[in-house]
Amino acid sequence: MHENEQISGNRRKIQDIMLRHSSKRRLMDKIVSALAVVGVLAAIIPLGSILLEVIKNGASAITIELVTQPPGAMGSATSGGIAPAIQGTLIVIGLATLIGAPVGILTGIFLSEFAPGNGLFPSAVRLFSDVLTGLPSVVIGIVGYLTIVLTTGSFSVLAGAFSLSIIMIPIVVRITEETLKIVPNSIREAGQSLGIAKWKITLFIVLKSAKSGVITGIVLAISRIAGETAPLIMTILGTSLFFSSFTNPVDALPLRIWRLASQPYDSAHSQGWGAALILIIVVMILSMALRLLTQRKGFKVKASHV
Amino acid sequence: MTPENEGFLDGALLNPSSKKGNDLHLKQEQRYKVSIKNLDAWFGTKQALKNINLDIKPNAATAIIGPSGCGKTTLIRCLNRMHEMTPGATAKGHIIIDGDIDIYHKSVDPVIIKRRIGMVFQKPNPFPTMSIYDNVSAGLKLNGVKDKRLIKDVVKESLEGAALWDEVKDELDKPGIGLSGGQQQRLCIARALAMQPEVLLMDEPTSALDPIASSKIEELVHVLKKELTIITVTHNMLQAARVSDYTAFMYLGELIEYGPTSQIFKTPQKELTERYISGKFG
Amino acid sequence: MTRLLDLGIDRISNVIMDMAKISENSVFAAIESYQESTHIKKQIFDWSEKLRVLQEEVSDLAIELIARYQPVASDLRFIKSCMEISYGFSRFGRYSYDIVDLLETMGSISDCDKSAVLEMAKTVRGMILLSLQALQSRDKSAGEKLYQMDDTVDTLYRKYLRDIITPSQEQQNEKRLTDSNNNNPRCYISALLILRYLERISDHACYIGDSVHYVVTGVSSPRR
Repeated sequence: MHENEQISGNRRKIQDIMLRHSSKRRLMDKIVSALAVVGVLAAIIPLGSILLEVIKNGASAITIELVTQPPGAMGSATSGGIAPAIQGTLIVIGLATLIGAPVGILTGIFLSEFAPGNGLFPSAVRLFSDVLTGLPSVVIGIVGYLTIVLTTGSFSVLAGAFSLSIIMIPIVVRITEETLKIVPNSIREAGQSLGIAKWKITLFIVLKSAKSGVITGIVLAISRIAGETAPLIMTILGTSLFFSSFTNPVDALPLRIWRLASQPYDSAHSQGWGAALILIIVVMILSMALRLLTQRKGFKVKASHV
Repeated sequence: MTPENEGFLDGALLNPSSKKGNDLHLKQEQRYKVSIKNLDAWFGTKQALKNINLDIKPNAATAIIGPSGCGKTTLIRCLNRMHEMTPGATAKGHIIIDGDIDIYHKSVDPVIIKRRIGMVFQKPNPFPTMSIYDNVSAGLKLNGVKDKRLIKDVVKESLEGAALWDEVKDELDKPGIGLSGGQQQRLCIARALAMQPEVLLMDEPTSALDPIASSKIEELVHVLKKELTIITVTHNMLQAARVSDYTAFMYLGELIEYGPTSQIFKTPQKELTERYISGKFG
Repeated sequence: MTRLLDLGIDRISNVIMDMAKISENSVFAAIESYQESTHIKKQIFDWSEKLRVLQEEVSDLAIELIARYQPVASDLRFIKSCMEISYGFSRFGRYSYDIVDLLETMGSISDCDKSAVLEMAKTVRGMILLSLQALQSRDKSAGEKLYQMDDTVDTLYRKYLRDIITPSQEQQNEKRLTDSNNNNPRCYISALLILRYLERISDHACYIGDSVHYVVTGVSSPRR
């Protein structure tokens, strides 16, 4: 009897405590929700205001001329356009992706599928990759300058693409490795149990499952490198001419924006805003195009829910 | 019992027609589909299987039961050489198929074995990016089979063999993961059957399924064993009692008792077996 | 920790033990009734009825345990044996009832020679006690002894049968038999029938021994 009383006494005590705390709890819920909203706003407002500024100032500058004409003389009445910069950006980004994406993906595959443990070599690779992400892009530009510009004797598209790919690779590696790791091991085991060779399992089953994640990684990397200015200064130099060859300098949007902004003329400034808006649009189009191209099938790849 | 290099043409391949003194011995082994001899297995330094000797009869369902950690999953993963795919896992011993090939012989490619010995896992794992059709044909296509008509026939045959054809025959393009749990498991069985295996290993095939889906799989085992040899691991003793012709009881890495299911469940010979199946421990 | 099945097994064991007690009392009372000419038909009738009810209870319980708990191995063998043993006990009750029913029909037999029956009754009492003891202690070797005792019971029965059909020279000289039994069909009919009932009781005691052997070893003894 006494034990029963003690148990029901405890029960009442606990219920009392919980009742008293429920009003406190509801207050806490509201406070935390409010803080979360404040956080979201704090994140969105600066981003949103930048976007609005760019659109506001750049929209008026966008003309056919801007997009198709090379720059005119500084300060001249026929201000020209930024067409070479648009072209240059696309070419350099394209080439950088062609170099950086495969290297990054293969390294990511290696780290996830063939050496997932804590062996010396894989850990070194991961460490190296992390260090690279933190490297200032100006330093990477210097590297590109030293390795390619000096040895080939000229500023060139190749040097620029090379430098940008160095920035790109660690991003792709990390994201590829992480996305591949998320693919459940049961899928690999299923492939193994069918007697399929490991490389085929990796490429045709695992990678396919992680496809959208890997593409996201590449898109992220592209967005990052599209806006890098410092490495480009030292590698492609920038020019007012359209693309001539891979071993010659070329213009790019970030460079052009910087050049236009440093000029004292209003017309140049307004062109700069236009260029900025175009850069944002270009990156957006690139990401959407990449996504659409690689999701032909139509059904989304999600983790299976049993 | 099968010493390694005693006058065989090839260490792995025992060719009965060219043997003299060992014929009787080999004939005995040919009565069994899978003959496990002196099998030990480790995870690093921890020994998971201790000197397992077990002969599996063909065209029958054999169940392996035992409490968690007894080594039953380790054992069947050794049967298709998937055990060593876990880092640090090793195994030693002989597993002889059809009295013919020792799959643990050093000249045998583990990947090839998996085409003769299929496996179905506890949690259904269809390939998430593939349709039902692609799932079933994946093993064939990725192993070099290109004949489209042949693949189509095999897919139909396999889905029929897994009792799934009628439910999905009009939806072969739909994603594999869109099916219910029980259907997904049958899809995985079809995928394994497409490889035309001789032995099918099932690692707790129904533990993630509801009772009705489970009983469908049990009925399937009953039908499949006419063509194949089925070895299933289960922690559900009553399922083992329902589904299997022979039952092996394992405990702490050792084989305690093995015999016809009706005998094991009516009059087990070892007290440990009796205690386990009566639910007195484990 | 007790399994759910164990609660059921305990219950079924208790009913079996109750039946054991009642059927033992039943048989002994019937024999005493023959010996002392007491009238206890109603009592034995009640016991017999009770045994029949308990047997059904055992049967129902057994089915319920099988359906709900899927027992295996020695638990399953035990449950199967309980069904057989409960039938045996209900038979004890039935034969006891038959004996006292017969005695009532026969009327007075106080002058009869009851030696044959009493001799067999002694053995049968022993067999009943032995079989109950074997049941309680799960003694698998009791079956052997019980069959030996059954052999003596069979021998006694056949001997009596032969004797009353063709009495030997010796017996013809013994007035006792010819006088009392030849002139009184009640005596030898009642004795014969009761011997028959006792012989059946002894068979069932053997079967109980067999069931115990089966529970312990899983091997059924061949019925002789």
